[in-house]
Amino acid sequence: MVGFAIPRNSLAWMLAAQAAVIAPHVVRLPIWVTLVCVGCGLWRVMVYQGRWSYPRRWVKVVFVLIGVTGILLGYQKFYGLEPAIALLIIAFVLKLLEMHHKRDAYIVILLAYFVAITEFLFYQTIPYTLYMLIAVTMITAALIGLHQTKSHVRPTETLKTAVLLLGQSVPLMMVLFVLFPRISPLWTVPLPTNVARTGVTDSMTPGDISLLTQSDGLAFKATFESTPPLFSRLYWRGIVLSEFDGQTWSREAQLTQNSWRTGATVPGWVSDIEYQGDEQRYEIVLEPTQQKWLFSLAVPTLVDHPSLEILHDYRIASRSVVRQRLRYKVKSHLRYVVERELSDFSRYRNTRIPKYSNPRSQVLVKQMFKKSGSIPGFINNVLRMYNLEEFVYTLRPTLLGDDSVDGFLFESRRGFCEHFAGSFTFMMRAAGIPARVVLGYQGGEYNPRGNYVSVRQFDAHAWAEVWLEDGGWVRIDPTAAVAPERIERGLEAAVELEDTFLEDTPLSIFKYRQLLWLTDLRLRLDAVGHYWDTWVVGYTPETQMGVLEKFFGDLDRKRLGMIMLTVFFSILGIIGVVMLAKKSSTVLAPIDDEYLEFCRLMEKWGIGRRTGEGPLDYAQRIGMEKPELRQQINNVTSAYVEKNYIHPDTASVHDLKKAVRALRFRTLTATR
Amino acid sequence: MEDSNKGNIDRTGLEPEYEVPKSRLWRSNLFQSWLNRRLPPSDSISLNQSNIFILPTRQGLYFLILIFFMLVAGINYQNSLVYALAFLLISMLMVSILHTFRNLSGLTIQAGQTQAAFAGEDAEFDVRLIRHGKRTFEAIVLGWNPDLLQGADLLEGTEVRVKLFVETSQRGIMNPGRMLIQTYYPVGLFRAWSWVDLNMSSVVYPQPLIAGDIPLALSTTDEGEMMQKQGVDDFHGLREYRAGDSLRHIAWKSFARTEELLVKEFAAHVDRRVWLDWEFFQGMDREARLSRLCYWVVQLSRTTDEYGLRLPGVEIAPGSGIEHKNRVLTELAMFEIEVG
Repeated sequence: MVGFAIPRNSLAWMLAAQAAVIAPHVVRLPIWVTLVCVGCGLWRVMVYQGRWSYPRRWVKVVFVLIGVTGILLGYQKFYGLEPAIALLIIAFVLKLLEMHHKRDAYIVILLAYFVAITEFLFYQTIPYTLYMLIAVTMITAALIGLHQTKSHVRPTETLKTAVLLLGQSVPLMMVLFVLFPRISPLWTVPLPTNVARTGVTDSMTPGDISLLTQSDGLAFKATFESTPPLFSRLYWRGIVLSEFDGQTWSREAQLTQNSWRTGATVPGWVSDIEYQGDEQRYEIVLEPTQQKWLFSLAVPTLVDHPSLEILHDYRIASRSVVRQRLRYKVKSHLRYVVERELSDFSRYRNTRIPKYSNPRSQVLVKQMFKKSGSIPGFINNVLRMYNLEEFVYTLRPTLLGDDSVDGFLFESRRGFCEHFAGSFTFMMRAAGIPARVVLGYQGGEYNPRGNYVSVRQFDAHAWAEVWLEDGGWVRIDPTAAVAPERIERGLEAAVELEDTFLEDTPLSIFKYRQLLWLTDLRLRLDAVGHYWDTWVVGYTPETQMGVLEKFFGDLDRKRLGMIMLTVFFSILGIIGVVMLAKKSSTVLAPIDDEYLEFCRLMEKWGIGRRTGEGPLDYAQRIGMEKPELRQQINNVTSAYVEKNYIHPDTASVHDLKKAVRALRFRTLTATR
Repeated sequence: MEDSNKGNIDRTGLEPEYEVPKSRLWRSNLFQSWLNRRLPPSDSISLNQSNIFILPTRQGLYFLILIFFMLVAGINYQNSLVYALAFLLISMLMVSILHTFRNLSGLTIQAGQTQAAFAGEDAEFDVRLIRHGKRTFEAIVLGWNPDLLQGADLLEGTEVRVKLFVETSQRGIMNPGRMLIQTYYPVGLFRAWSWVDLNMSSVVYPQPLIAGDIPLALSTTDEGEMMQKQGVDDFHGLREYRAGDSLRHIAWKSFARTEELLVKEFAAHVDRRVWLDWEFFQGMDREARLSRLCYWVVQLSRTTDEYGLRLPGVEIAPGSGIEHKNRVLTELAMFEIEVG
C-alpha cells in the first residue's frame, strides 16, 4: 500500500490545532490521558520524519483497549460528560497514528472541530471564546493545507487563507446567530459533574461561612431594571435553617419533599403575604452551584421560569440541581408582612431547641427575658449585649466545643456572622420566640456601567428571622449590632483592622480595591463580560423572541426563516461580488510593474525608453549617456531579463525590487 | 516524496490523490452534445461562470453532518457558543463555495505543443495555465487520465506550463477529447470543475516491433554493394599496418620518410541509402508490417544512414535527420487512415 503522505503544512497545523483544542481540557482529564495525547503527537512527528513507522494493528488495538479500560476504571461509567469527552479525545489522538488516507486526515480535522465545542460546555467567557476562535482558525488551516499542492510549504500563507475564510464567515455567522430560530432542548443531556459545590451549603456549623469568604468567586449577578436598593438592604435569601442540634443549624428534614408550592392555588404560606410596596424587578444570572436553591430579595413574587418554584418560606428553588449558569427574573417587594398568623406546627418547629444544650445560655436568656418584659425589648437587649459587651467580629474565631453557643457567649466572644446569627436565634428560641437562621449573601458590588450588582462568595452571610405578633417574619441581623460596617460597606471594611480579607488569596484583584484605576478597569471589563453573558451567552429562545419582536414585531418561525435566509444570502452575495470583482482590474505582473517604475525613473533623468526598444539596448543607451548610473542600470536590467526571459520559474522578483529601490533612492537624492 | 520545488508542478502518478467522482455522466451522449454547445472546442479557453460546475464533495456532506451534530449539542445544552461555532462552520461552508469557484474562474487554459508517441506509450500534451489579474490560483488539478492528474499552482509568474500524458493504444491521430480541470481548494468541501476541449491532438506512430537485423539483403535497390567496407575507388587515408594487409597497399613513400609501416586505405563509395519497403514482409497484415517498418525507422534514425520509405502509393526519398524521421513516422502513422 502506498502510504498517503499528508502535506507538511497540513500536518503542522493539525498537530498545533490538536494541542490547542485539548489544552483547556487537561485540567479535567486524568493525567494519563494527557500523556497519551503527548505520546501520540510525538509518534506522529517521528513518523513524519521517517524515523518511526505507524504502529502495527495489534498495537493500536491494545492502545484502544487500554484507553477504554482506563476511562471505565477512572470514571466508573461511560455515560456522563467528562468520560465522553475523555473518550473523544483518546479517539482523536489515536487517529493520528492511523493516517493512511486522506479520509483519515479528514476525520482528525472533523473531530478537532467537535472537541473545540466541548470546551464551551464548561466555560463561556470572552477569553475562552477568543482562544477557541484561534484554535478553530488553526484547524481550518490544517484543512486548507490538506488541499494545497506539496510544493506549497509556507504555513503562514495557509493560516492567512484560513483567517480570510473565517473572517468572511463571521458576518454570516452573526446573521444566523441572531435570526436562526432557537428551540428548546430535544432531550436531556449529561452535564458537567466534576465541579465542587460552591456557595452556601444547607447547614451551618460555626466556621463554614468564614471559610467561604476566602473566595472571590462570583456567586451571581443581579441586573436591576431601576436603581438598586441600598447596599444595607441587599439581603439575598438562599436557604432557611430551622433545625438546631446544639452545634449545627440545618434545614428541616421532613418537609423538603412536600414543600413545593404552585403559586396561590394551594392555600398556605405563599398566599399569606401582604405586599407593601418598594417593588424591585431584577434578573439574576446564577453561576452553577450544584445545589437546588436560588437567591432573591425578600419577598419574591414572580418567577418567570418554568422549572422554578417559590417555596413555603418564600424563597426560590429549582427542581433540579443547578449545573449550568441559570438566569431567572424576579420581582421582589422589599416591604411586606408574611405569615401574620403562625400555625402551631410552624411555631413548634421554630422554637425547638435541644433541651439540655447550652445550659448557661438558656439561664442567661431567662434572666434577660424577665428583665426586658416584652419581646421587642428582649430583642433589643440581646442586640445591645452584642454591641456593648466585648464581642469581636473577626474572621479568626476561636474554636468552640460541643455547646457552641455557651462557648461563644461566655468564653471566646470572638465570632463571625454565623456565630452571631446562630447564638441570636438560639436565644430567641430559648425565650420561646419563633426564630430561624437564614443563609445567603449580603451586599454585592454595584457596577453602574451595567446597573447590576455582582455578588461574590466573600459576600456570604448569615442572619436571623424572628416572628413577631402583627409583624410576621422580620429580619434581624445581629452582625449589624457588632459590625455595622459589614452591612453597610461589606466584609472588606469590616475586617479592615485585622487585615484578613481574602487572606488566603493574596493575588486576588479584590484585595486592591483601594487602587481606583484598577477597580475602574476591573468594573469596565466586568461590564463587558456582563453584556457578553447577557446578549451572547444568554441568548436563549426567550431572549431571542424579545429582541426580534422589538425589531420586527410579531414573528412566526416561517417569517423569521425567510428573513434569515434573505439577509444571509444578501451578505454572501456581497462577499462574492467583492471577491470576484477583482478579476476585472487587469494588473500587471510584479516584474512588469517594477520595470515600468524603472522606466519612469529614467525619464526623470531625461532618458525615456523608446517604443520597441529592448531592455538590453535601452540599458546600453543609458550607460552611454549616464556612465555614473551604469552599475545600477545593469543590476535592474539583468534582474529583469533573468526573471522575464531566462529563468521565469526560479528567479525571484526580490532582486529586481531591490535594484529598483536602490535606483529610486539614487534618483530622489540626486534630483533634490 | 518531495518534488523539486523548481517548478510549480507536482507529479502524483503513484497516488490517486486527486479523486474524480465515479459518475460517468459526462460520457453520455446527451451530456456531451450539451457540453459541445456550451463549451465548444477551442485552443484557448477562459473559465467563467458559464463553464464551471460546482458541487459539494463527500467531505462536504460529512462536514454538514458534523455541523448538524454541533447544532444538536447547542440545542440540548442551550449553549449559545456551541450554536455560534456551528453557525461559523455553516458560513465557512458557504463562503468556501465562492473561494473554490474563484480558484477556477478567470483562469485561461491554452493548448501548447504536443509530442507524438508510439502506440502503447504516453503522448505528451503541453497545456498552459494563464492568469490575468492579481488573482492567484492554487492547487489546480488537470488531465485526461483520471489516474494521472497533475496539480499546478499559479502563485507567482503569470503562467505555468503543465505536461500531461495520455495513454495511446493505436496509431493514427489521437484526440484526447475533453480534459478535466478541477480544484478542491481551499477546504475540499466543494469541487469546482470543467471539461474543456482544447482541440489538441497528437500523432501516434505504430508500435515498433522488433524485426531482427535490418534486412539489407532484401533491399531491392539497384545501387548495389552498399555494405562494402573497403573499396578501391578513392584514397581515404593511412592507417597502421596489420598483419595480412596487402603489400600493394603499403605506403612505401611514407615508409621511406618515417620508417613507419603504414597502409593506404581506400574506401568504396559507401552508399548507405536504405529503402524500407512494404514488400519486405510478405504474408503479414498491415499493422504488423507498419510496426516492423517503424522499428527500422527508429533503428536507422540512430545512425547517420539515409533511409527512404515505400508504401503502396507512398514514397519518401531517402534522407536523415529528425524532420525526416518525423515525416516518415507520420506517414506510417497515417497510412490508410481517414483524416476526418
